[in-house]
Amino acid sequence: MITLALQQQTLLGALLLGPGSLAARDAQAQLEGLVLSPSARGLAAYRANGHALAERALAAAYPVVAAMVGPDCLNALARTLWHGHPSQHGDIARWGGELPALLALEAQLAEFPYLADVARVEWALHRAAGAPDANADPPSFALLTQQDPGAVTLRLAPGTAVIRSAWPVASLVNAHLRGEPTLSEAADRLRDREAEQALVWRRALRAEVRPCEAGEAALVDALLNRQGLVPALDAALAADPGFDFSAWLAQAVGDGLVLGACPHDHHATAIHP
Amino acid sequence: MNAATPMPAFRPLRDPDVGIGWRHPHYGALLEQRPALDFIEVHSENFFAPGGAALAVLREGRALYPVSLHGVGLSLGSACGVDAWHLDQLARLVEVIDPVRVSDHASFARGALDTNPGSGLVHGADLLPIPFTREALDVLCANVQQVQERLRRPIAVENLSAYLRWRDADLTEPEFLTELTRRTGCQLLVDVNNIFVNALNERLWGGSTDPLDACRAWLDAIPADRVAEIHLAGHIHCGDIVIDDHGSRVCPEVWSLYRHAIGRFGAVPTLIEWDTDVPPLAVLLDEAARARSAAQRAPHTPVAPTGPLATGAAPDRPWQNHTAAPSMELAP
Repeated sequence: MITLALQQQTLLGALLLGPGSLAARDAQAQLEGLVLSPSARGLAAYRANGHALAERALAAAYPVVAAMVGPDCLNALARTLWHGHPSQHGDIARWGGELPALLALEAQLAEFPYLADVARVEWALHRAAGAPDANADPPSFALLTQQDPGAVTLRLAPGTAVIRSAWPVASLVNAHLRGEPTLSEAADRLRDREAEQALVWRRALRAEVRPCEAGEAALVDALLNRQGLVPALDAALAADPGFDFSAWLAQAVGDGLVLGACPHDHHATAIHP
Repeated sequence: MNAATPMPAFRPLRDPDVGIGWRHPHYGALLEQRPALDFIEVHSENFFAPGGAALAVLREGRALYPVSLHGVGLSLGSACGVDAWHLDQLARLVEVIDPVRVSDHASFARGALDTNPGSGLVHGADLLPIPFTREALDVLCANVQQVQERLRRPIAVENLSAYLRWRDADLTEPEFLTELTRRTGCQLLVDVNNIFVNALNERLWGGSTDPLDACRAWLDAIPADRVAEIHLAGHIHCGDIVIDDHGSRVCPEVWSLYRHAIGRFGAVPTLIEWDTDVPPLAVLLDEAARARSAAQRAPHTPVAPTGPLATGAAPDRPWQNHTAAPSMELAP
């Protein structure tokens, strides 16, 4: 009698290894000797279930890519990803993060070079949607005037991320998800190859994305790297000498991007001591 | 009821709590309509994200109904053990939601794809069958015990619909589940549709036993006082296989088996599951009403209301003024 671990490895291999691959065929042949009824129909049922789950999961995480490539292409991508990068956890919402890399490599999609960056933005939105909740703390902004600026930093909204692209990715995503800008305006920006830095964050329960300028992108990146406010501001000014911190802060607090201020732990900084 | 009529000490044996699987298409409708249900059930993994809208909506649902947390990914039968990350997320969710029941399946999904020591583990994201062997029973018991110790409560383990049958078997499925509950103290979640789907597929594979007879024998072999929840759902005949797709109404044969189950197990909380082509909420509520009606027509088989069945719950409905889930294990 073979061990349970080997039985389970054989069935997982027959289901998840690349369809038609030698390894998958070997696993299926071995499985045939381990089960009572012929395995082909049962395996087909499990495979179909896995593929349907992968297709739904990918469409849920990447609605804009899905709209751009169409359902047949998305489903084919889902099946490729399912076998190439099987889920490692029992929460299917965590699966699918490798789609941007797959899109970048997919020769048939080479004429749509912006798809991978759109997918990166969508994955950031997907992750932001489930990021830990955090509440705004307006009184904490008093720290900005009460404390040595070198000892303060800012708390950002759940799921905040910056994605730099040579394409107008924030416009493309928002045109599909929100209708603002219009699809026609986004298409114009795409034709003009307008590069955008996409800023992703969660406002209350809704994940948002908008284009941002170089100064803001540098500032947010620095804050995400756990830098204090002073080096973060230095980074913003290096990227954009005209960066207006006060105007930015007012807007960012209103948008729910910045939740509050807090003392900065210098030891937590990776770059600046 | 006049003043001379004593209040029943126990809820009538054939008046089970009835709930529905609460899925995304009905998040808004259920919160708005607040239909008369005894509990709602969700798939635990859909709420593993530590924050955001999904968890917020579940908290709203929990404020109105007791919640049964039903897992589909714990992979209790895996030889490689339970994923510590998965168990951490489940423990956190249990802490937040205070569910009326926690359950998962006698199945596996997690394991290695090859024998390379360096290769990682994958999760097949399905409810894959485990053989009914002593070795698999030992693994399942160890994993169930680990989960129960972490959650500090018994869980309920559900029987599968399986599209493959392992050649190795030391026990029948009811014997396997009976041993599991005896050794771990876990409860059982009996999915009546799964039993029927398995019996139909058994016949397609050449079995000669009448499917309904096989199912009744299965139900009769399960320890009645360990059954914590019953699941009912629809399935689809594909000609060469029957698939448990949860995509249609409960069929007449499964209603018949449900009455048999209630007659044998007593008024066990009953769930209507619908996961494919989810219809309007009213259809699920109608199925729930049918479950109540079917339970009342169940044959009377005296079963001592012991263990998890001895709720002693008064006949009021908990959704009316509910802040805390009624325990399944109230003192008699």
